[in-house]
Amino acid sequence: MATGSFEFGLSATALNAWAIWILPFVAAVIIPGVAKFSKRATGGVAVAFALASAISATTLLPLALGNNEIHNQIPWISSIGLKAGILADPLAALMSNVVAWVSFLIFVYSTGYMKGDKDITRFWFWMAFFVGSMQLIVLSDNFLQLFFGWEGVGLASYALVGFWYRDKKKDHVGIEGRTVLGLVDYYSPTHSGIKAFIMTKVGDVMMLAGMFLIFAFAGTFGFRELIENTNWATTMSSQHLLIPAAVLLFGGAIGKSAQFPLNEWLLEAMTGPTAVSALIHAATMVKAGVFLVARLAPLFFALAAIGINMDQFFEVVAWVGAITAFLLATQGMVHPEIKKVLAYSTGSQIGYMMMALGIAGLSRQFVDGYTAGFFHLISHAMFKASLFMAAGSLLHIVGSRFMTDMGGLRRHMKKTYAFMWAAGLGLMGAPFITTGFWSKDAIFAAVYQSANTWALPIFVLALITAVMTTFYTTRMIGMVFFGNKSKHVEEMEKEGYHIHEASPSMWIPYGILAVLTIGIGVIGLAFEHQLHDIFTQYLASAFGIKSGIGNVAMESQSALGGFLEGVNPVALISSLSAFAIGFALGYIFYIGRFADPVKFVNSNIFFYAIHKFFLNRWYLNALIYWAFVVAPLYFARGIYRYFENFVMEGFNLVPEKTMMGGARIMQATQTGISQSYLYIFGAGILIVVLLLLI
Amino acid sequence: MIDFTSTPIILTMILGAVGVIIPVISNARKEKGSSLYGGMAFAALIAAITFVGYQIASKHVTPSAIFSKNVLVDDTFGSFFAIAMLIVAIMTTVGSFNYMRGRANPAVYYSLILLSSIGMVLIAYSTDLVMLFVAWELMSIPTYVLAGFMKKDPSSNEAALKYFLFGALASGIIIYGISIAYGLTGSTNIGQVITGFSKLGPDMMPLALLAVAMFIAGFGFKIGLVPFHMWLPDTYEGAPPTISALLAAGTKKAGFAAALRVIIMGAIALDLNWAFALAIIAIVTMTVGNLAAIMQKNLTRMLAYSSISHAGYILIGLSIAPFSQIGLQASLFHILNHAVMKASAFIAVAGIITTLSVSHIDKIKGLGKRMPITSLGLVISLLALAGVPPLNGFWSKLMLFGAAINAGSMVSWGPYLAVAGVLNSALSLAYYGWIIRKMYFEEGESEKRVKEPKSVIAIMIFSIIFIVGIGVYPDPVIEFAKSAVPTLTNVVTIH
Repeated sequence: MATGSFEFGLSATALNAWAIWILPFVAAVIIPGVAKFSKRATGGVAVAFALASAISATTLLPLALGNNEIHNQIPWISSIGLKAGILADPLAALMSNVVAWVSFLIFVYSTGYMKGDKDITRFWFWMAFFVGSMQLIVLSDNFLQLFFGWEGVGLASYALVGFWYRDKKKDHVGIEGRTVLGLVDYYSPTHSGIKAFIMTKVGDVMMLAGMFLIFAFAGTFGFRELIENTNWATTMSSQHLLIPAAVLLFGGAIGKSAQFPLNEWLLEAMTGPTAVSALIHAATMVKAGVFLVARLAPLFFALAAIGINMDQFFEVVAWVGAITAFLLATQGMVHPEIKKVLAYSTGSQIGYMMMALGIAGLSRQFVDGYTAGFFHLISHAMFKASLFMAAGSLLHIVGSRFMTDMGGLRRHMKKTYAFMWAAGLGLMGAPFITTGFWSKDAIFAAVYQSANTWALPIFVLALITAVMTTFYTTRMIGMVFFGNKSKHVEEMEKEGYHIHEASPSMWIPYGILAVLTIGIGVIGLAFEHQLHDIFTQYLASAFGIKSGIGNVAMESQSALGGFLEGVNPVALISSLSAFAIGFALGYIFYIGRFADPVKFVNSNIFFYAIHKFFLNRWYLNALIYWAFVVAPLYFARGIYRYFENFVMEGFNLVPEKTMMGGARIMQATQTGISQSYLYIFGAGILIVVLLLLI
Repeated sequence: MIDFTSTPIILTMILGAVGVIIPVISNARKEKGSSLYGGMAFAALIAAITFVGYQIASKHVTPSAIFSKNVLVDDTFGSFFAIAMLIVAIMTTVGSFNYMRGRANPAVYYSLILLSSIGMVLIAYSTDLVMLFVAWELMSIPTYVLAGFMKKDPSSNEAALKYFLFGALASGIIIYGISIAYGLTGSTNIGQVITGFSKLGPDMMPLALLAVAMFIAGFGFKIGLVPFHMWLPDTYEGAPPTISALLAAGTKKAGFAAALRVIIMGAIALDLNWAFALAIIAIVTMTVGNLAAIMQKNLTRMLAYSSISHAGYILIGLSIAPFSQIGLQASLFHILNHAVMKASAFIAVAGIITTLSVSHIDKIKGLGKRMPITSLGLVISLLALAGVPPLNGFWSKLMLFGAAINAGSMVSWGPYLAVAGVLNSALSLAYYGWIIRKMYFEEGESEKRVKEPKSVIAIMIFSIIFIVGIGVYPDPVIEFAKSAVPTLTNVVTIH
């Protein structure tokens, strides 16, 4: 490090960095105690600690701007040479600020959203635990410590997605009674919690394998140690193990970030309280996967300097991102549940980030793609948190998760309406005034300029996705706020219920984020340049990545100089037209309502089939259930029935249960089961002898 | 010369004296209350473990023979197991306070637990096959009685009978192995047997091989290795749940102590391809245990199968012992962890059974509200068993699998053990998660809080502190396990 400071042992300067992840955990520990005195105070305590953690995170910002870092280690398990540590480099510093501030706002919102819930203590415990684990991931200086946070995030998401464990009907997701390939497309909170846990666990196991594969060669888990001495990479590469290990690690990110093919848990995770969805989608959980890739990508890219080609890894990342972005956007266009649309959109936008990080590794200008991916992460955190919280208000007021049960709300919820437009424009990438526009444009530019073989198909996919994104966002806003009031709303009003604006503790947080989306959007290009500078210095000093050392020999094609440097005209025009087409389509069907979308879909067998295909989630979810839930259950039952009962106890004809009469115990144990047991015991000895002889 | 100040002798005297005296007092007292006997047993065990701790702290542990005939040795390996066994015995005793209230013959019950723990401790200290066998029987016979202690309960009787039947067979097989070993080498001292084995001519090899196979089968019965495991679920299910804790966490570990002393050393001397054999048994054991556990509806039976699978994990360390330094350390570490985790899980279940009289998994819905501390203890133990960080089970599994990957540079099948272990751990989450889901995420018939037994609460608090404490800072225990391993390998140097 040119300007970095390396410290060993606890010191005053590092305490603020440690505090960022320790404070939320402290909150989690004391919240049950606080609840003994006052249940209502738990929210206040959680918010206070979140604010303290966020302020500690802010103290790291000067570090990021000056390209300094805090690397502080304390002994942990000396017998295997393991240290616990904090690595607050510019990447971690920026990320932990995004996480801390967004989750602080979500906490404020939750005090209103969860008011009066009788399990409030459990809610705050897990929320604080969730944020603490996420910050642990962000600030870890080694894989193993990161994995602790990684598992903590998984555990918290399991507990929070299944928070409403009473499985009431209103807390389910999906449409009751609807089936896909014979399986119900309707999930309870507890089911969804387990689904999220197990699907992400698949990724975790892969990640663990990748981690230890690298450890086996490098003998260290530390991120800095891995870059300082790269002999491990040379050895692994010569045995063709490096790419598999990298892809296994990426498997962890696929699971956490809900990328294809482990994307299906994200939709059912909507059963959690909306504040939890906002936290999962904007600040924690799914961003953890992107962060992991952002942590690793420069490391793998820098290996090019010692002649190791990691193109295959980056191709996998870019393609997984591109496919996910496209796949989930298609489904987002047709679903009637507002939170599900937002969930599809998250997966799709995360796909963009992965795509950018992947393409970065394939291009000459690594820093361009890297900045684009991270910039999109920041802007997505803002507008998606805002959208989710606004959607939560809608659910709260209308009492239904279906957009078809809303409609015409713009006159009653003026603030929510305005903020949702602002944040929605961010998601659509409305030109020049939103962060979403600049970050998406940066991704397009990075992809377009990468000059990789795959650049064109990925670029086209990204572009189609952008059209769809604009369309479904417009559709969402149109269905909720425009048109006539739905039957559901009319009935509510008939019963004397007055549709009203949400309480200030709820609209202020998403208002702030919506305003920021536009506010930073206006100065978006300058913001991007600042970010670009930070990362250029960071990548150069920490990894030795200077612009132009990539694997592709072609020159960058950036045509515009000066202030507009980094804006590619082709990308700019493409993203403008994508916005225009998507918005026009959405406007025709859902805002202007010149045509009825239902009639339109049913008018033509082709549109009908496509609609159904998207609504059934490309049948992927159903296939996964058939292959990994239904079939293995049969298998496990079979194992039990045939292996334990038939093979192990098959020597006696009388079933075990009938022999259990008290008087016949002697008979049962002597002539019944035990004989076969003893027979197997004897056979076992033979087997052991045979095994020893092999 | 007998060294009267050495650990095994003192332990035998403390535990033996109290164990013998308890029934005598109960005869003289003619009173029904059980708390006195439980208290005495508890005090004796605490005194014993304190003594072991003192011996270690004051570095009195020296691997030298205690008697003029070299039958017992006072080494760190023995002390490590002594501590593990005594913790289990203490947990069982305290867990039984509530269970035995109002039941018949409490004095005999506690006395038998003490006698059995003498056996468990002595196995770990034995250096002579005959001594080891005597200790083995001293451990086993009281547990046969204990498994069938509820004499009016048919399933308890069946459990005891099956257990005894297999125990007798296994003892016979061990004796057979010992006699072959003696016939071949003219000695029953483990060290001399091993040296003798390594000097055998090729024509005598098959007999030595048979002896090792007999040891694997005989000790494998207690450990619960597949295919010697069939008695185990029936017994654990039928026996009083507190005794299942003793069996799963205690006697099973004593089986490992014996296996470590005898099988590994003997097999090393014989230069057999034994490591591969153990590796296969390890994989089969953990897979069968986990697959069978998934379908169980009874908590104790599920835990029984889970303990079979854990025998498989521990065996990983044994099978890669010659190829990786960490292998045996990891096994020892996991033995201690598993002892506490499994004992605490069984005692939690015992608490549930005595309070609510249910052990079926559908009947524990909403238990998190009814018995919060017991449920929390059970959850922590189950998560530790699954190896979820940051609990102690994570570290020992990490070391086991890490060692297996490490061994990959010496034997090609090493990493496959780690892969099998990781997959099995993921599989095991399915049924542990199922229990947790029933307790916390499903609504029960009643939400009324019931009074939890104080003794169970005490055990739960102890095990939560132990599991989380070691999970956050495992260093001291790993160091202890590390120091226990070399004294074992001193018996015969690994070549």
